[in-house]
Amino acid sequence: QGTIHPFRKTHKSVFGKLKQEFRLVTSDRRSWRILLFGALNLLCTGCLLMWCSSTNSMALTAYTYLTIFDLFSLITCLISSWVTMKKPSQLYSFGFDRLEVLAVFASTVLVQLGALFILKERCVCLPLTHTQTHSGRLLVGTFVALFFNLLTLLSVRNKPFTYVSEAASSSWLQEHVADLSRSLCGVIPGLSSVLLPRMNPFVLINMAGALSLCITYMLIEINNYNAVDTASAVAIALMTFGTMYPMSVYSGKVLLQTTPSHVIGQLDKLLREVSTLEGVLEVRNEHFWTVGFGSLAGSAHVRIRRDANEQLVLAHVTNRLLPLVSTLTVQIFKDDWTRPLLSGTLSSSPSPVPPLGPEGYAIPPSSSALPPLLSDPLTSTPSKPSSPPPEFAFDTPGRNVQQVVLPAAGHHAHGPYGGLGLAYGASPYAGMLSQGVARPGMPSSQSYRTAFGAPTLPLRFGTSNPLASQSQYRQYQP
Amino acid sequence: MEDKYSSNVLSGGKLGMVEVPNSRLTRYIVLLVVTKVLKALGIFESYDILKVVHIVQFIFILKLGSAVILLFFQKPFSSGKAISKRQWIKLLKHAVFSCIISLLGFFGLTLCGPLRTLLLFEHSDVVVIALLAVLFTSSGGGPSKTRGAALFIIAVICLLLFDNDDLMAKMAEHPEGHHDSALTHFLYTAIAFLGVADHKGGVVLLVASLCLKVGFHTASRKLSVEIGGAKRLYALDNLVSAVVLLPWVIVLSATTESKVESWSSLILPFGMIILSVMILEFYVEAICNTKMETPRCARYGAVALFLSALLLANFWTHPLTDQLRSMSKPAQQLSTEHVLSGGVIVSAVFFIMASSILSSPSKKGQKGTLVGYSPEGTPLYNFMGDALQHTSQSLPRFIKDSLKQILEEYDSRQIFYFLCLNLAFTFVELFYGVWTNSLGLISDGFHMLFDCSALVLGLFAALMTRWKATRIFSYGYGRVEILSGFINGLFLMVIAFFVFVESVTRVLDPPNINTDMLTPVSVGGLLVNLVGICAFSHAHAHAHGGKGCSSNDHGHSHHGHSHSEHSHGGHGHSHGGHGHGHGGHGHSHGSGGGGMNANMRGVFLHVLADTLGSVGVIISTILIRQFGWLIADPLCSLFIATLIFLSVIPLLKDACEVLLLRIPQENEKDLNSALEKIEKIEGVLSYRDPHFWRHSANMIAGTIHLQIMSDVVEQRIIQQVTAILKDAGVNNLSVQVEKEAYFQHMSGLSTGFQEVLAMTQQMESMKYLKDGTCIM
Repeated sequence: QGTIHPFRKTHKSVFGKLKQEFRLVTSDRRSWRILLFGALNLLCTGCLLMWCSSTNSMALTAYTYLTIFDLFSLITCLISSWVTMKKPSQLYSFGFDRLEVLAVFASTVLVQLGALFILKERCVCLPLTHTQTHSGRLLVGTFVALFFNLLTLLSVRNKPFTYVSEAASSSWLQEHVADLSRSLCGVIPGLSSVLLPRMNPFVLINMAGALSLCITYMLIEINNYNAVDTASAVAIALMTFGTMYPMSVYSGKVLLQTTPSHVIGQLDKLLREVSTLEGVLEVRNEHFWTVGFGSLAGSAHVRIRRDANEQLVLAHVTNRLLPLVSTLTVQIFKDDWTRPLLSGTLSSSPSPVPPLGPEGYAIPPSSSALPPLLSDPLTSTPSKPSSPPPEFAFDTPGRNVQQVVLPAAGHHAHGPYGGLGLAYGASPYAGMLSQGVARPGMPSSQSYRTAFGAPTLPLRFGTSNPLASQSQYRQYQP
Repeated sequence: MEDKYSSNVLSGGKLGMVEVPNSRLTRYIVLLVVTKVLKALGIFESYDILKVVHIVQFIFILKLGSAVILLFFQKPFSSGKAISKRQWIKLLKHAVFSCIISLLGFFGLTLCGPLRTLLLFEHSDVVVIALLAVLFTSSGGGPSKTRGAALFIIAVICLLLFDNDDLMAKMAEHPEGHHDSALTHFLYTAIAFLGVADHKGGVVLLVASLCLKVGFHTASRKLSVEIGGAKRLYALDNLVSAVVLLPWVIVLSATTESKVESWSSLILPFGMIILSVMILEFYVEAICNTKMETPRCARYGAVALFLSALLLANFWTHPLTDQLRSMSKPAQQLSTEHVLSGGVIVSAVFFIMASSILSSPSKKGQKGTLVGYSPEGTPLYNFMGDALQHTSQSLPRFIKDSLKQILEEYDSRQIFYFLCLNLAFTFVELFYGVWTNSLGLISDGFHMLFDCSALVLGLFAALMTRWKATRIFSYGYGRVEILSGFINGLFLMVIAFFVFVESVTRVLDPPNINTDMLTPVSVGGLLVNLVGICAFSHAHAHAHGGKGCSSNDHGHSHHGHSHSEHSHGGHGHSHGGHGHGHGGHGHSHGSGGGGMNANMRGVFLHVLADTLGSVGVIISTILIRQFGWLIADPLCSLFIATLIFLSVIPLLKDACEVLLLRIPQENEKDLNSALEKIEKIEGVLSYRDPHFWRHSANMIAGTIHLQIMSDVVEQRIIQQVTAILKDAGVNNLSVQVEKEAYFQHMSGLSTGFQEVLAMTQQMESMKYLKDGTCIM
């Protein structure tokens, strides 16, 4: 009994949940309309399927699948209205926007599979004798289906499908119609406003399917040409494939978490900008993808110089990318981050580099610097008021930097940049910094630093006491 | 109207290639049209003559006659430079080829009649080359060319399938005494061996020889330069081919008695044919090609030729044209021969449209990339990129590489071997079905082929999974596997739905089933699928036991002859549940975690469905045979459909969860405890936006934002958090570490009031949290 109990409970809750969600959706007035159309569609599909079996026409069956697709699109519409009401939950942390995409993908794939079945049936039946097609309800069925499809398409505002049909690359049907209508406009220029804009693929395939069914009907009536039914079924199936394939590719790419190709240019530009920010060395592991239709999410690792200010760089990078990427995570990465404190203490000393220092300060500092390093991160007590000096002591002694940076930061925090705009925000900031740094800095020390400082620093610490630094490093880990 | 289809706006504005106005060319166009009409007339007449004259003799006379006339006009020996011995050998080869092509062409003429021959064989080289470019290269030249190619193919198919030629039935009985030489007999038997009627064989033959002709023309261009002009080559070629054909003709006339009553009455028609088909057309084409562009020439020529052929075909049997033709024939025979049918007319219209579209110069074949703007402001395009990028590897190499990749890994290797086995079984079934002419076997073979598509999808996904990450697929292609599993799940749903619907209609009206052949086929299918289950069962947490494995080896070899023994032409008409089914093994779906591979699961479910479908067929066959329960079959398939449906749901649910970026179920607890641990790290105030999702079978990605105190080293926190989350299974992580300073910077940088407000709110909350922690 104990094992049965939870199962029954979950089973009940699934239906209960469904009912509750359904009630939530129906609380909105707009979804009533969708439900009404859905009911009509079911009725129509049932009628058509009956007529299909009575006429024994494969082409009409293929066309009926389009009606079933309309039903799917209505369901997708309901889902999208449900999605707008739902907040991200703990399990689905990105929200339910993807459900829309999944619904679009599933419905396009299902229709394509239906078309595949039609093709298979034709392949299987090709060696068989041609089945007699009765043209009785063929025309009626065609027009009923066309009418309902167009009615559904034009009167229900289907947000996800509209988006996909606009964003996906155009199908071969659209391309051919565009090509034809362009040359037609060469003959009759007046039609250009009607024919030249991009056609709605659904309207197009409905019209084309209805046209081919009409031709089938005519040929069967006039010539009793039953093979035409097969041909037009294959044609409708192929057109369905052609129309649905780009859409399923588009939504499938969203589901595969790929970078949408249309934003790649923009992203590249932004990433280039980011990599030129002060202190940034490189941007790597960048992943950008779309959550639902349209909203981008992404993460990137930014490697920065050891002495750069992490929070400042983070703020700038985020500020650059945030307008495009709404869900953004930037991980700041520093090489050998155990050393910044050491170099900070070193650089704050007046003569940092061993060849420079006449006092022979080169070897002792490592030992003298170690105690603060050990005590500081381990206890993480606020022993020092703030840590700007190490971050900004890239070229000059710390005192100078403190002079420059602190006012800059304060200046910054009070927000005179409010009116400056996005692109302008960072560059003057960085420029001012470097200016401020360069002005008081002695030219001699600068040149020394660039000449010797960089190579000698790692060397010294690598050779003099590698074991010590290693052990310190180990100690930090919990 | 039709040629307008491919013209674009640019050419209307005279920006593209400027065509010479028609008025200046009227003479040439009229000349061309007249020539084409005469040629059609000549072909019609030669069809009549070919009924009495042997084809080799006919071609010999044609070649000889045109050689005499051309020698008179061209004087190839007296003018131009002398021809070396090597060139003579080349000429000989050339002549042999041209003889073969004209033999094939005229043989096709005897098979299909003049109208169809004209439609199929007399296409200009431009048209055929454009067609082949569309079919076999990626850069066909825009949608209009594709349309033209599609029209061409539809026209050929129309001739093949929808052309109810009355002669077809007559020729099908194939009187042995009809043909009178070894060559024709050989061709007849070759076509009869292919299993098509003579007329359709003629169509195929003509299409093949058309391609040959175009290739031959292209290849002979070099020789014509070497010899010194196309006209000289043509004259010499005719002469040499006449010489080549001479011994054959002598042998033929010595061995067989001629059907011709008087050769003298044939002189006039022969002269007319030689003049119109061989000489006049050649010269006029040459002139028109120099005066007009080749495509245009081809367009007008094709339209004139096809229209005149249609008209002639309509009136050829008419009494009015009796005085036009030289041969008097009994009327009753002609009236049934190669008449106009709806299919021919449709295909003629399509051929005209196709040739006019394909021969129109392509104006947008190249795709340029926008480079920039000129100083005047007009866009500049770069057309070089397209040509340079097409360094595609050759097809065999590609196949070899991908095979190697497939065989490298276990999953894809399994799928590949099973696919091969399945395909082999299918083709054995299909061939045997064709051999014994059993429709049931053929349709079952098609079903199997259809099922193979799921395997192909799985194989492709397994192959793609190992591709390197690109700019667009930044996480790598691992997710393809899940998507393919999802699609396979949908596929099975659709199959279940169709089987369900079909069996419901069968329950209402159970059909009479002939069970003769069902058993061997389904036993064969069962054995093949058991191998598959064996191979794929590792993908499944479920242990399907070694029993199936041990039985498959001898079982499979056994099925081969048991299958061929039994299936003698019985019509296994429409046996329900064609191999789709699923056993009642309630398999535990991947909640066990660890290597959840949706792709392999989908493939496995497919194979399982097939297997138990065959089991269902066997059971229902036994029931029907023993007890005569006809309703057993639809009930069985109903049951199978439900089982498929139920077994697919877990797969679909799992794939959906992954695609919807849910927190992975099996790591949920670990992640929660990891998050708690993170909160307890010293210096961490709080976290926000924790996103964790399974990207592919072996990658769980995650992003998290942390707020820490301003005096903690960020990198240490990142390291700790990464370590904690790695223990929880997340192997692709981005941690954003924020201090209070970050929010200050952000509010400084942000432009709008709203953002500032949001940032300050976040900052406030952070302060509050800090206070809270301080108190604690």
